[in-house]
Amino acid sequence: MSTDINDVELVSSSQAHTGRGLGTGNPADQFVIQPPRTRTTKTPRRTRTNFEMLAWLFMRLSGVVLVVLILGHLIIMLTLDGGVSRINFAFVAGRWASPFWQGWDLLMLWLAMLHGANGMRTVINDYAEKDSTRLWLKTLMGVATVFTVLLGTLVIFTFDPNI
Amino acid sequence: MSAPTIDAPHSAALDAAESGAVQLITVTLRIRRFNPEEHPDPVWVDYQLLMDPKERVLDALNKVKWEQDGTLTYRRSCAHGICGSDAMRINGRNRLACKTLIKDVNPEQPITIEAIKGLAVLKDLVVDMDPFFQAYKDVMPFLITNGNEPTRERLQSAEDRERFDDTTKCILCAACTSSCPVFWNDGQYFGPAAIVNAHRFIFDSRDEGAEQRLEILNDREGVWRCRTTFNCSEACPRGIEVTKAIQEVKRALVTRRF
Amino acid sequence: MQIHQYDTVIVGAGGAGMRAAIESTQRSRTAVLTKLYPTRSHTGAAQGGMCAALANVEEDNWEWHTFDTVKGGDYLVDQDAAEIMCKEAIDAVLDLEKMGLPFSRTEAGRIDQRRFGGHTRNHGEAAVRRSCYAADRTGHMILQTLFQNCVKHGVEFFNEFYVLDLLINEGKTAGVVAYELATGEIHVFQAKAVVFASGGTGKFYKVTSNAHTLTGDGQALVYRRGLPLEDMEFFQFHPTGIWRMGILLTEGARGEGGILRNKDGERFMERYAPVMKDLASRDVCSRAIYTEIREGRGCGPDGDHVYLDLTHLPPEQLDAKLPDITEFARTYLGIEPYTDPIPIQPTAHYAMGGIPTNVEGEVLRNNTDVVPGLYAAGEVACVSVHGANRLGTNSLLDINVFGKRAGIAAADYAGKNEFVALPANPAEKVQALVDGLRESTGTESVAQIRKELQETMDVNAMVYRTGATLKQASADIAALRERYKHVAIQDKGYRYNTDLLEAVELGNLLDLAEVLVVSALAREESRGGHFREDFPTRDDVKFMQHTMAYQEVAADGTTSIRLDYKPVVTTRYQPMERKY
Repeated sequence: MSTDINDVELVSSSQAHTGRGLGTGNPADQFVIQPPRTRTTKTPRRTRTNFEMLAWLFMRLSGVVLVVLILGHLIIMLTLDGGVSRINFAFVAGRWASPFWQGWDLLMLWLAMLHGANGMRTVINDYAEKDSTRLWLKTLMGVATVFTVLLGTLVIFTFDPNI
Repeated sequence: MSAPTIDAPHSAALDAAESGAVQLITVTLRIRRFNPEEHPDPVWVDYQLLMDPKERVLDALNKVKWEQDGTLTYRRSCAHGICGSDAMRINGRNRLACKTLIKDVNPEQPITIEAIKGLAVLKDLVVDMDPFFQAYKDVMPFLITNGNEPTRERLQSAEDRERFDDTTKCILCAACTSSCPVFWNDGQYFGPAAIVNAHRFIFDSRDEGAEQRLEILNDREGVWRCRTTFNCSEACPRGIEVTKAIQEVKRALVTRRF
Repeated sequence: MQIHQYDTVIVGAGGAGMRAAIESTQRSRTAVLTKLYPTRSHTGAAQGGMCAALANVEEDNWEWHTFDTVKGGDYLVDQDAAEIMCKEAIDAVLDLEKMGLPFSRTEAGRIDQRRFGGHTRNHGEAAVRRSCYAADRTGHMILQTLFQNCVKHGVEFFNEFYVLDLLINEGKTAGVVAYELATGEIHVFQAKAVVFASGGTGKFYKVTSNAHTLTGDGQALVYRRGLPLEDMEFFQFHPTGIWRMGILLTEGARGEGGILRNKDGERFMERYAPVMKDLASRDVCSRAIYTEIREGRGCGPDGDHVYLDLTHLPPEQLDAKLPDITEFARTYLGIEPYTDPIPIQPTAHYAMGGIPTNVEGEVLRNNTDVVPGLYAAGEVACVSVHGANRLGTNSLLDINVFGKRAGIAAADYAGKNEFVALPANPAEKVQALVDGLRESTGTESVAQIRKELQETMDVNAMVYRTGATLKQASADIAALRERYKHVAIQDKGYRYNTDLLEAVELGNLLDLAEVLVVSALAREESRGGHFREDFPTRDDVKFMQHTMAYQEVAADGTTSIRLDYKPVVTTRYQPMERKY
């Protein structure tokens, strides 16, 4: 968070400013450098829910579970029994024959997608300045998430090794 | 108890502090000026000064205002870090100008000074503090108690008093809140200072309003927006562990629910 | 120009202003006008504590406290007021605790108390633990707690409104005129009752613990309206300010066991105050320090300061009880107070004098009569509970006790009386002042005049004064006042014109410095904070009375000062020799 001194524009040094006396309007109205979405006395207070707290907790808990799931997944897929070279359709079919691995992958899919989506949501909240931008970005992301999760779930449950 | 210190050799630090000789150096202040009565855009202006490096940045600003350019505008009052008027961005970091010595901000290079971020700049280094104080007011920063008042003082053990000591130090200078990247982009966020002042009451054993305050900070714009970037703790001129206080409020919220 | 109407208007939002606002907001429609955001006020810089005879740690009673206050003030204290203050001190502390102030605690969970300068057991026997404190941040905690309670009660603040004039119509208070810093607009506040709580005036000294903003605004504008100022010659010099910077290091440091030492390492206060030693009253300590320096026992290459030695105290005690002042030493001097003594010198600290009031906070227009609807409290006022020298911690007491009283009295008055009509063109005088400065084509600089004022005050009207130095100061001030007429400002704008603000403040300082010097010149005795080397003893026959200074305006517009005297109220304590 340091300012790069070379980036700043300079004008002549030590020069006195002479006032022109531009009216006396409320300084908050115009001619000020306004930050986004300022808090005011009129800021509406939303109905309070535990959503943000649950989302925050979910990130921490799902993160811990995902570490196990993903590392396990990576080890199985990449290193055990010759690693990547043995992966083919039959390998996948074999694994998904077991409800355990179906459950593993389903859990991994849901947690990873929701974890990622919630992370993206906070990024959008932090960086999108306008309410409309936020809404659009979040809608887009929501649709993409729902689509991916549903498609993945469908595949896991309807997978047919005989096709 | 009153052993004289006559024989104790002076430390080098004390000798340096007492030395009458002053080595003046040339300092360049690069200040982001903004005067909408003059021009709608901010400009950076350089000022050259002869300063004692042991003086404060505020002394340098005063010197500019008093000797070079009277239009330079900033808030200041106590000049020793108690009133919280002069929080500003010095070399890109939020500090109090009266608590920052020139020798500590690399005076060989131009010292950049600009208004704190995230609040509307009204003129030069003066920002609109009202949204900041609004967030403070919104956390109900006052002792809430039920029942009859005792005739004497309320009792509180020294340990219970110590529990919230850190957050009682806040001077509402806004250095923390205006260093927070979340606040920069979303002024609706309560910000570290408001949470610190809620913390001061939530963890006060005499207070009975913790539930209400926690409910307020459970808001969408409450503690859950904190990303623990630690900018606030780094910026606090009073040395308050701001991020820790925010995390303690989060923990209180979670343990309250489960 | 905008016109507002409020039952009660409070000028200033420091300790006294906010204490008054908490009371008056609950009783009348109240506006608080303040040139700073409330939490910037200098109450927050107070450190050591607030005395009250709670007797939480050892035997104590308010009568002893009253005696100490009267003796500390060198018998110039109005004793009826001191009795009220010391009696109500106990409730004032308990009120603050109930408002939420986080006092430091004893093992039993009660408010802890520590020793402080001039506070004694049984009329001077030994130091007593009377000061209630929150580490060395008592003032900070008081200011924050009062602000918190203002938020709770919904006090209406007008932040960064600089009050420039008091409106009086037919002898009654009509309101005030304020300048809005953000826009340069002038606002007239019509009010039934006005409370001044605008603080001190220390900025006419160079080495001072006072904030840049303490420029005696309230005193000056009341004085210009023909009302008197009381005891302005009595200015307190706090013994322990950081050398050359003047930043306050609390008396609580000596209350915790800190010792003043000269260059030989000698605990020199033993010679000046055999019983109380380093905890003698502030005027005594300050004079002792200057005597040491003058007699060549000062420290440093130029021998111009002494040491406050905390090195024998355990670091844990410093961390727990004096965290802020040890940090000041590290930040501003670069030394470690665990191992090094701190270079200090007396620093201009507190105006004992001010706008004369009675014990209800009503402002006096002469020795006996009040101005209906006008109140004052805190450092701006002179009740007089501090007499010739304020005892440490009694200022925090003053703002709480008399702030509360003034707030209640003002609101009650507003409830019983009607608005007084505003005079024609109420803002005329302020408009002329502001326009005059903005349009001035003079060449004098505000900063230069202020600097010269501070220099002459430091040299000529500080701890030691003589007729000659005061005459020198008087001549210097007269010359500076002449130059001030040609002062010009660079900023001609309307938004946050702090250049203009500083010029107005300088005008106030010049007027008040003149009052101080003229009052001091007339007081040919030494009493408390006022020490005349040409009259080194107290003269109770001639000067056991308060100075009342009035501004007289001649037909041609020139001003002069007329001095009058007001008797001291004595109840139980007859003047005695003052020894610590």
